[in-house]
Amino acid sequence: MITPWWWWIMVVPFVFGLLRAKSGWYGFLLGVYTAGALWLTGSIYFYLRGSQIITHRVADIFDVGTPLLLILFTAIIAAFAGGVAGMTGYVLKRSHTKNKS
Amino acid sequence: MVFYFLNFRQGKIPPLGKFCNPFAGFWQNNYSTDVLPYIIRVGNLQDSVVVHWDDRHVPHVFAQNAYDLYFTQGYITAWDRLWQMEFQVAVTAGRLAAIVGGDLLDQDLYFRRCGMTYAAERALKEILADPETRLIIEAYADGVNAFIQRINPRNLPLEYKLLDYHPEPWTFLKSALLSKFMAWNLTAFDISENMLTRARAVFGQGVIDDLYPVVPPFTDPIIPRQVRWPFRSINIPEKPTTDFVPATDSLAELASASRLRGSNNWAIAPQKTATGHPIVCADFHLPLYLPCMWYEIQLATPDMNVYGASLPGVPLVMVGFNEYVAWGATNAMTDVIDWYEIEFKDDVKSAYLHDSMWLPTRKRIEEIRVRNSEAVIDTVIYTHHGPVVYDWDEKPYSKVIPRGCAMRWAGHDPSNELKTFLELNHARDYEDCREAIANYDCPGLNFAFASVDGDVALWHTGKFPIRWPGQGRYINDGRNSAYDWHAWIPREHLPHVLNPVRGYVSSANQYPVDERYPYYLGGSYWSFDRGARINERLSAMSSITHENMIELQNDVVDISARKILPFLLANIDEEKLMLQERTNYEELESWNYDFRIDLIAPTIFTYWWREISNMIWIDEMHTAHGDFPLPRSDVTISLLLNNPDSEYFDVNDTPGREQLRDIVVKSFHSASNKLFEDLGSYGDNWRWGNASKIGIEHLAQIRGLGRMGLIKAGNGFTINVKHSSSLGRSWRMVVSLGSEMQGWGIYPGGQSGNPGSKFYDNFVDDWLADRVYEFLYLKSADTKHDRLTAHMILRSGS
Repeated sequence: MITPWWWWIMVVPFVFGLLRAKSGWYGFLLGVYTAGALWLTGSIYFYLRGSQIITHRVADIFDVGTPLLLILFTAIIAAFAGGVAGMTGYVLKRSHTKNKS
Repeated sequence: MVFYFLNFRQGKIPPLGKFCNPFAGFWQNNYSTDVLPYIIRVGNLQDSVVVHWDDRHVPHVFAQNAYDLYFTQGYITAWDRLWQMEFQVAVTAGRLAAIVGGDLLDQDLYFRRCGMTYAAERALKEILADPETRLIIEAYADGVNAFIQRINPRNLPLEYKLLDYHPEPWTFLKSALLSKFMAWNLTAFDISENMLTRARAVFGQGVIDDLYPVVPPFTDPIIPRQVRWPFRSINIPEKPTTDFVPATDSLAELASASRLRGSNNWAIAPQKTATGHPIVCADFHLPLYLPCMWYEIQLATPDMNVYGASLPGVPLVMVGFNEYVAWGATNAMTDVIDWYEIEFKDDVKSAYLHDSMWLPTRKRIEEIRVRNSEAVIDTVIYTHHGPVVYDWDEKPYSKVIPRGCAMRWAGHDPSNELKTFLELNHARDYEDCREAIANYDCPGLNFAFASVDGDVALWHTGKFPIRWPGQGRYINDGRNSAYDWHAWIPREHLPHVLNPVRGYVSSANQYPVDERYPYYLGGSYWSFDRGARINERLSAMSSITHENMIELQNDVVDISARKILPFLLANIDEEKLMLQERTNYEELESWNYDFRIDLIAPTIFTYWWREISNMIWIDEMHTAHGDFPLPRSDVTISLLLNNPDSEYFDVNDTPGREQLRDIVVKSFHSASNKLFEDLGSYGDNWRWGNASKIGIEHLAQIRGLGRMGLIKAGNGFTINVKHSSSLGRSWRMVVSLGSEMQGWGIYPGGQSGNPGSKFYDNFVDDWLADRVYEFLYLKSADTKHDRLTAHMILRSGS
């Protein structure tokens, strides 16, 4: 299930938004929670399981200070991408159903 | 739109979606490269290969045949350093703009114009023509490509993820390019023909000979003075009766880029060692970056077992030892680049004048791809001398390159340096070593050898043109064949020595010979300091142990400071000094010329010497015709000691005529003020370590991936060398020969090129402290040792 392609975090919320969203915000938050949670746990897991050195180094490259902020940053990127995708899914569905009616 | 932003690199920002993905982004570039699988099925190996890894992540490769050995070297080196290999190829081949963008277009153009790929193509032809080196380069490429095929989005090295690109298949040409990169690095660091030609026009030959001498003052030559030259020189060309005056290039930069590309080496003969067997030492002074230029490795087959430093991207071991011999090399410094002013027939540039005839040029079209932009097409014009790097209407990337001139570089000529290293890796005695370097061309090196039989020798070797005295220092007339290179110094006539009476050989880039040597040698030789210090210390030693040699490599006494400081102090009246200046003076008085990190005297001296140099020279050298580089320290020292009444000591802009004493006193005041301005009050900031920090940047200068603000002992003139411009001891080695070969060494970096690995920079702290590690030299694949932490077996994948 965990495949290397990062854009699953956009595709899945997009599909869910398309199928299940009841409002734009619903689609957005759905994306935020699922994608954000996935990348948050993922990054924490790998940080604890041996990625300390690289996390510190990348934190230096981006000038973020602590690795914690980098974990947060990762989660935020995912949340943002997922949220946008989810909302887009809903919007698309709505415009499609609007067209129908 | 969001997708686009997160998936593709935007300027300097990496594709954040891809990059931050915990499952495939930078989070995955972690310790996993350090965890090695036990069995790997790969490639077309003829037999199985055993690789033992030790606790420093140094691989010890045991193969049954040459193909398997070099395949494995390629595979493993790619595992640890693929990105570095590819990036250095991109630099040399002028292909950085395709990866990074248009900012690097000028640099790419420069490397294309200098004909690096042309040189590599010619070298490759020779390498492929010899069946042994052909096999090696093929096997190595197969190994690298086998590794590239195993790359997936998860284990792609970090820098590819940051810069958003992927590796290409490895080719033979790339290995050849990397050895040319090394050759260029060592031979092209000081292009001063333009500067000297203009300086001669402004100051006259006499002044040039004084201020920029060919043979640096106080030199203790590499080949001891007792050595006789039992031959006459041959083929010395006739110098034209009138001096050629080239067209003036007023835009060109006059500073000769005097960044050192040098090293130390020495070998001690049995009569001077405690073990009764020779000891060989070498340390290279080269640009420092992470990952390090060198990769430590042991390579063994049934008929060879060699350990040492290799260049990622190039097979074999470049410097190191096997069961019989040890060798090291320093930059010969003898000039192998000359410039020839070209007169084209017309703007089409299809013909140029040579001996009153129009010779055809050859045009080479170069396509430079630029990321996110259109490719640039460039035409490089080749003459029989070489390429015309920049024409008069262009703005050179490297401002010391004379415009309108063709470059004649020994590195452009066909040669097979791989053969030399192959033979050195297999050598069993001095004769083998001598034959190995018999065809060694470029870059010129001082090879020092020792064998278990007890021989020690040093050869100043390479392809050096025979010149008239002074030829090659100035821009030549490309129209007149009298200036062309006609012949090379015959190998048997090159400076060399075997088993000298004094019991050791050594070199530190100084002038190789004394005045009795029958040929003229010219080049950017280093000043007397390191070489003379090494010799004075070795002469005084006996029963030398490897610990003595490790300590000698750490010597931080600057003997040029020792030479001049007492004289300078004697010219100051301590009574007349102000309080802080008295402290400074006393600090210098009690100093032993050590450039140690905790001492303050080195900082005071460095500042003072800079003031003296500026005060003596700036008014002379910064003229209406341009700012010429100030003469080097050794020249200034020689002037102060031998010519104290010189007119140079008169500062031109002041009324009245200064004497030496005035300069010494004024500069001391000025230095004391500057010290306070720069470093605050006398205190910890003044300690040499704090006042002269260095940094080791990442190869692509990515911030966060380097090690900055480092405190290290030494300066540019001590055996333990340290330069402010991130240049220093990039490989250090001491080898004690005998039935059990033993070695010690270190380099500032780590075996792994993965910034997420604990082996990325784990050597740096020990290197800063001037420590060394003991090499683990295994006799066979079955040897057990508690420092071996992992084992790998490679078998054919088919």
